[in-house]
Amino acid sequence: MKAVIIGAGLGGLLAGAKLTKAGYDVEIFERLPFIGGRFTNLPYKGFKLSTGALHMIPHGSRGPLAQMLKEVGANVTIIDSNPIAVIRKENNEIIAFHDFRNELSLTKQVKLGTVLSYSRKFKPRSEISFRDWVLKYFDDEFLFKLADSFCGWALSLKAKDVPAREMLEIIDNMYLYKGSGIPLGGCSAVTDALSGIIRSNDGRIHTQSNVERIIIDNDMAKRVIVNKKTIDADIVISDIGHFETSRLYESEDLEYSDKISNVKPSKGIKICLSSDEQLIGHSGVFFTPYAQRINGINEVTNADPSLAPPGKHLVMSHQTLISDDLEAEINLGLLDLQQLFPGKEYDVLLIQSYSNGWPVNRASSGNDNGNRTPVENLYIVGDGAKGKGGIEVEGVALGVRNVMAEIGVS
Amino acid sequence: MKVSVECVGCGQCAAYCSFDAIIIFGRASMNENCIECGECVKYCPLSAITESI
Ligand SMILES: Cc1cc2nc3c(=O)[nH]c(=O)nc-3n(C[C@H](O)[C@H](O)[C@H](O)COP(=O)(O)OP(=O)(O)OC[C@H]3O[C@@H](n4cnc5c(N)ncnc54)[C@H](O)[C@@H]3O)c2cc1C
Repeated sequence: MKAVIIGAGLGGLLAGAKLTKAGYDVEIFERLPFIGGRFTNLPYKGFKLSTGALHMIPHGSRGPLAQMLKEVGANVTIIDSNPIAVIRKENNEIIAFHDFRNELSLTKQVKLGTVLSYSRKFKPRSEISFRDWVLKYFDDEFLFKLADSFCGWALSLKAKDVPAREMLEIIDNMYLYKGSGIPLGGCSAVTDALSGIIRSNDGRIHTQSNVERIIIDNDMAKRVIVNKKTIDADIVISDIGHFETSRLYESEDLEYSDKISNVKPSKGIKICLSSDEQLIGHSGVFFTPYAQRINGINEVTNADPSLAPPGKHLVMSHQTLISDDLEAEINLGLLDLQQLFPGKEYDVLLIQSYSNGWPVNRASSGNDNGNRTPVENLYIVGDGAKGKGGIEVEGVALGVRNVMAEIGVS
Repeated sequence: MKVSVECVGCGQCAAYCSFDAIIIFGRASMNENCIECGECVKYCPLSAITESI
């Protein structure tokens, strides 16, 4: 069986590793000169920045991605963060994430326990947003701000744009898998290990190879056109999202076309800092609910000092894009950093922004359309088709798991 | 080099530029160090960079 994979991002590489292991003849085509997509290292001034991700695996060494890496034999060391996360309060005090309940009145604490355990069992069926869901039970400014900070960091969305149902799935996964971790060597430790597995199983990965067309015959994908050459396929897996994939062939399924054109990618800004001294002191998430724009920050060199030159720290902040004025948004982020680390010296290395065709998440959480397409043997993986409750790369792994189940690869 | 409206400001081009010629602030722009070598073109995920004519 010949599988053609479009895109060597994390989704394409995970699918490729699973399929080569199952005996498929796999050929992956990647448009860029390097593999890994938005999950690989970007060498910059001696630092290992990244093309996208903040070098963080949301559920650490026990999550769905870590599990799948083990299954395919990809050797990646994931350093679990301890503490997993902290919260910076309005008065600058820092508390452990799981102690956020103590910030509420005793009545609200009790209510939160009851509401959470009820709602996790009986997820809201309506389209109610996470913000409105919180508002329904609690009128509490701290909880609102924390919800926005969490959704902004993990999903690059405001709580009002995340369905409560999806957020409760995420909370389930947090109880189940815990979190978070940093791969030793950064993002590319994951994607390079996967490409190693694919190649050692005789799979082929071609860079600078743009897939221009998918040829459909009798509702089946028969071949793809890459740099003007034709490649036959028994199955095609696309790592570039539903919408971009649909532009490579003609579909008469109007309902599908309609559904996938409504999906909104999530936008965000990452600011990469270099510092001589520690700004955070651990590799967990530093949530900043009271900052104007920044949702959270991490300092990955506490897990892996090799991500920066000797004696330096690499600190990265993330913020959701709120308005369309990108420059104003960046300036607000920079101002936040000054206020969060008063008197500290750091240099701004690179400010990276993401939207539209190169977003934080191709389908914002709760907006996924599954992995199937109107074409029977054409599947979508990656962050345009995540599994339920899967935060970012965990969702990518869950989506790949769904596709493997559909085609009968265990 | 010319940068189109497709540019989102991801900075990939700047990291691969050998001449420190690309400034990123919401989008990419070239400074006077740029020698039009065109190396950045292939690193743009959105094909937003072209040679200026
Ligand atoms: C600022 C930021 C911070 C993030 N932080 C985190 C984090 O800390 N933790 C986390 O888990 N996730 C994080 N994410 C999300 C994570 O990076 C993505 O979910 C993940 O990398 C997506 O992988 P993918 O395989 O779906 O897509 P991609 O990585 O985009 O892969 C798709 C590949 O397909 C290629 N391609 C496109 N079109 C074609 C074509 N026609 N022919 C051939 N190739 C093509 C592209 O060049 C690309 O390499 C972050 C993202 C951003 C932007």
